Amino acid sequence: MRKIFKLAKREYLESVKTKGFIIMLVLMPLVMGGSGIAMLLFQGQVDTRDKRIAVIDHSGAMKDMLLAAAEERNKAAVIDSKTGKKIQPSYLFEMIAPDAARPQAQKLDLSDHIRRGELHAFLEIGPNVAHPRGDQSTFRITYHARNAAVDNIRNWLNNVLNNHLRRVRLTEAGIDAAKADEIFAWLQVEPLGLLSADEATGGIREARKSSEAEAILVPLILFFLMFMMVMMGAIPLLSSTQEEKTQRIAEVLLGSLKPFEFMAGKVLGGLAVSMTGATVYVAGAMIMLNITGLGAWIPVRVIPWFFAFLVLEIVMVGSYLTALGSACNDPKDAQSLTFPAMIPVFLPMFLAMPILQEPTSAFATGMSLFPPFAPLLMLLRKAAPTGIPAWQPWAGLVGVILMTVFSVWMGGRIFRVAILMQGGPPKLSRILRWAIRG
Amino acid sequence: MNVIEIENVTKTFGEVKAVDRVSLNVPQGSIYGFIGPNGSGKTTTLRMIMNIFYPDSGTIRVFGQALRGAASERIGYLPEERGLYKKMKVRDLLRFYGELKSGRKVNKEVDEWLERLDLSAWARKKIETLSKGMAQKVQFISAVISGPELIILDEPFTGLDPVNLEAIKNAVLDLRGRGATVIFSTHDMNVAEKMCDFIFMIFKGRKVLDGTLISIQDEYGSDTLRLRAEGGISSLKNLDGVEKIMDFGGLQELRLRPEADHQEILAQIMARTRIYSFDLAKPTLYDIFLRIAGPEVEEAARA
Repeated sequence: MRKIFKLAKREYLESVKTKGFIIMLVLMPLVMGGSGIAMLLFQGQVDTRDKRIAVIDHSGAMKDMLLAAAEERNKAAVIDSKTGKKIQPSYLFEMIAPDAARPQAQKLDLSDHIRRGELHAFLEIGPNVAHPRGDQSTFRITYHARNAAVDNIRNWLNNVLNNHLRRVRLTEAGIDAAKADEIFAWLQVEPLGLLSADEATGGIREARKSSEAEAILVPLILFFLMFMMVMMGAIPLLSSTQEEKTQRIAEVLLGSLKPFEFMAGKVLGGLAVSMTGATVYVAGAMIMLNITGLGAWIPVRVIPWFFAFLVLEIVMVGSYLTALGSACNDPKDAQSLTFPAMIPVFLPMFLAMPILQEPTSAFATGMSLFPPFAPLLMLLRKAAPTGIPAWQPWAGLVGVILMTVFSVWMGGRIFRVAILMQGGPPKLSRILRWAIRG
Repeated sequence: MNVIEIENVTKTFGEVKAVDRVSLNVPQGSIYGFIGPNGSGKTTTLRMIMNIFYPDSGTIRVFGQALRGAASERIGYLPEERGLYKKMKVRDLLRFYGELKSGRKVNKEVDEWLERLDLSAWARKKIETLSKGMAQKVQFISAVISGPELIILDEPFTGLDPVNLEAIKNAVLDLRGRGATVIFSTHDMNVAEKMCDFIFMIFKGRKVLDGTLISIQDEYGSDTLRLRAEGGISSLKNLDGVEKIMDFGGLQELRLRPEADHQEILAQIMARTRIYSFDLAKPTLYDIFLRIAGPEVEEAARA
């Protein structure tokens, strides 16, 4: 064991003492969560230039309402009352009389105004919008702009126009428009967890409010964290073993170590690298969540499973990658083997979302009990708020332990032959022959 | 006492019999030289002693024990191909190799060896910055740093300039002087002749020579006439009783046929030219090597 630890220590220090490791440690979560962080960073970046919008109102009933709503909105939203800074654009509506003789030419003319930057958009309101029946073209509301689909003004208009039209219809139906707010009141169905008995006090503990972010983000973050740790600790073993073989370091080491000790030392070094990364991220996340008042999001019951599955995943994947690395004679061999070797790690990525949506389905259960996928997928299901039967993580764990023992045993048989075998590409038939014959 | 006892060992790679029924005993405290042409089985034999390769048949006992897959802490090994971590610093690398082998701190030994082989100034440099000769010396130190009782060196002198060659040779002799047993393979017959107590030659996987230099030379008798003559090689052609002439420029070596009388041959030469000096000698190891593995043997075998 002493020799295994000595080699593992060298492997570990060689990885973590480099600037690259520190940079990777910082950059990896930034890259993985880059889009979310970018949204947070740039959400305040709004074009505050006033937006002029022409309105062709065929109904003739929207002008006053629209101008009043815009004025109210501009008063409330455009200037930050604390800083006095302009934080939103003003919406400036200009009513235009419809050109009944040349309707298309009028709209083309307005479009050209938009192209020249003189207008932001134009809105056309159909004549029968208050009574949307019969010919659909008579109650359409169209919004024309350069980027109409994702334009915030369109969303604002949706609310303003529809609320107004509903009030008009209520009034016509003889209902007091003053009651409209109550009629239109929209009540959310709140997502809550389960109540639990408090054994200490004998009382009942209130259910905790859950959010989509917590339900999806927490399992996914743990899932991707394990994936990243495999990339960090196990995947490099393939190329580093190939390098040691090609540079004849392997033969020097085999003067001091048995082949199995050699392989075990490398895998243990990779495991230590992954555990360092995982500990930094988990501890960092726990501190951050506690500081930001989201301590309840910390999946305390899942974290031991995360580390247990991570250890087994690294040993399982690391063993066969080290064995495959020993069969390679140059970097090209290693490159060509890297992708197929990573398939058991990549495939769960494609299954993650369907399984997270239905974590208790037969498909999800079956996939998460399949030993090569179990570390990633069982962890994902275990972290989902739905919960899974208590026996399943244990069954998954036993399967992964057996698979890991098999991977180490088979990897050792391949490694001890392949590490000194020069020449010839790493064909599957040769690797299988070494695995069977030893 | 024998440190290594090899008995009837065979090792095959696919269709090629790399080592064929070889037996060998290496006495404690000796320097044993392994010679033989490229691909003859030297490295395979050394790797089997190291338990890096396992023999297909036969037994190998090191320090009286048959080791299986165990790299003994008592053996230092310098492989034929140099294997050093390029990104590691010289001192760190030597400590790593030494501690991996011996399981104890070797800081003092590392500094002593670096000093001895004139590498102290390079201790903090990365391996990738060293010249080939320096890297060779570092590799040598890595093999002996743990103070092994048996040192196996696969072609330790290849690629060294005379100064470094002398330094490594002296280090090897010093290690033997301290009680270590040394085995090394070499293509330099001069080095083998001067340094080795015993010489083992392997050719096409089979042992063809094994013993002291004197005992090996005795097998061939005094059949070599070494002389300097006026006109050099041009005056020595077509002499009766001469099997082969080796020309070294100012000196020629004549290998005599077994039945030949050297007096008669000298008389033939004196009849043709003036002889400045002559010496009836045993064949050199170089000559013996060529007699066993030279091109004429190959041609004869093919014929």
